[in-house]
Amino acid sequence: MTNCIEIKGLCKSYGDFALKNIDLTLPGGSILGLIGENGAGKTTTIKCILNLIRRDAGEITLLGYDNIREERLAKADVGLVLDECFFHDTLRAKDVGKILAPAYKNWDGALFRSYLDKFGLPEKKLIKEFSRGMKMKLSLSAALAHHPKLLILDEATAGLDPVVRDEILDEFLGFIQDEDHAILMSSHITSDLEKVADYIAYIHQGEVVLSDAKDNILDSYGRVGCTAAQLEAIDPHDVLRTRRGTFGCEALVRDRAAFARKYPMLMVERTTLEDIMLFVGKGETK
Amino acid sequence: MTGLIWKDLMVSKRSLKAYLGVMIFYAILTIIDVFNVAFVTAFISIMLIMLPIAAFSYDEQAKWDRYAMALPVGRNKVVGARYLFTLLIVLGALAFSLVVGVIVSVTGKGDLLEVLVSSLSTLAIGLLIADILLPLCYKMGPERARPYLYALVLLPVLGLFLANRMGVHIDTSWLDRLAQSSPAALLGLCALPLLAALGLMLVSYLISCRITAGKEY
Repeated sequence: MTNCIEIKGLCKSYGDFALKNIDLTLPGGSILGLIGENGAGKTTTIKCILNLIRRDAGEITLLGYDNIREERLAKADVGLVLDECFFHDTLRAKDVGKILAPAYKNWDGALFRSYLDKFGLPEKKLIKEFSRGMKMKLSLSAALAHHPKLLILDEATAGLDPVVRDEILDEFLGFIQDEDHAILMSSHITSDLEKVADYIAYIHQGEVVLSDAKDNILDSYGRVGCTAAQLEAIDPHDVLRTRRGTFGCEALVRDRAAFARKYPMLMVERTTLEDIMLFVGKGETK
Repeated sequence: MTGLIWKDLMVSKRSLKAYLGVMIFYAILTIIDVFNVAFVTAFISIMLIMLPIAAFSYDEQAKWDRYAMALPVGRNKVVGARYLFTLLIVLGALAFSLVVGVIVSVTGKGDLLEVLVSSLSTLAIGLLIADILLPLCYKMGPERARPYLYALVLLPVLGLFLANRMGVHIDTSWLDRLAQSSPAALLGLCALPLLAALGLMLVSYLISCRITAGKEY
């Protein structure tokens, strides 16, 4: 099966910030969650994928097509929901369908209207009167209405209430049931990714510092709570990152089970993606 | 591309309606002989050429460009759609001027030849302004390009005014003689600037394509 996204050695420098050798693969039938702090390089990576900015090095293929040499073919089956609603306030939902229909060979007007119905979006209401949730649902309807094989979502669920987020996540899970479909989803809301993602890539300061199956990460990584003295006694090779607070210390470990066998006196528990981000973002190496 | 032209028409709908109201108002004043038809056709052309520039502003407000450039149409078609929208607007202005002109000439309040000459000339000027402004809008954005629009419209007027004040007299009597002897030749002569502006539009489009090809969104 062709990978829906393949990124090899992607580099992009802005002078004070650079994406360094990004390698990512998104197999069909799966969701890849892209996590990272603000300014870590998630949106820059997505912009490179969409050829919105020039890359300095590397190769990107979308659904088997080179994203620059075969740009139109590469983008033909891609649905996009970016961090904002890009449709003008003075337009109505039905206008969006008319604008986008000629851009996509597979545009399905009936499907677009069915999504508008499903999400409860009035066709004739001005977009400026839509709430943020409604705007994102409109963007999603537009992204899905041409039967895409790949969805690229940049902070698509940011700023939405849990009910709307859940509704949209359900839609993503439905989309992914087809083995040829895949989703690349960047998000700060790590709990959303824990719900739906199959793979996680963590970008930190322009580099991929963690890329693995989500279940592997959550099943193997662990968080150790201990005192400063106990932390000192741990072999530095057994911990990835540490955090020292007023009331104690914490450490992130790669192999929870192995750590528990080696240090039976220390409590090691499951960790979350948010914990891992906090350890990498705010912690230090031992 | 048709979708993108449709988008420009949709987002300009409110302005188009307002401009149509103003156009009808001035058309009535022309028909009842308050204004000269040449003045009104020129005024309408200049007024309508603001629409493509305003479309850039609306796009900037909605951050549309980033989305448009991510669509599977290619950057050149996104640019091409804006040029076709501009052409559509200019042709619309010409059609309106012609309708007014025909009414004026039929009612005996003006001369059809004068209307045609005036319409062709203002159409050429409108297109020329668009030829210069569109690449500037792509290069520096609508806000920073706007002063150039004012300069393009005002400087020639100011130049003519100053030339007049300084006693420079441009002899246009040969145009009157040409209108008397061969109206078709006069029309052909007036179509030349329009053809030149259309040719320049192609150059302008290629420059805009080059600007957007190197731009990051």
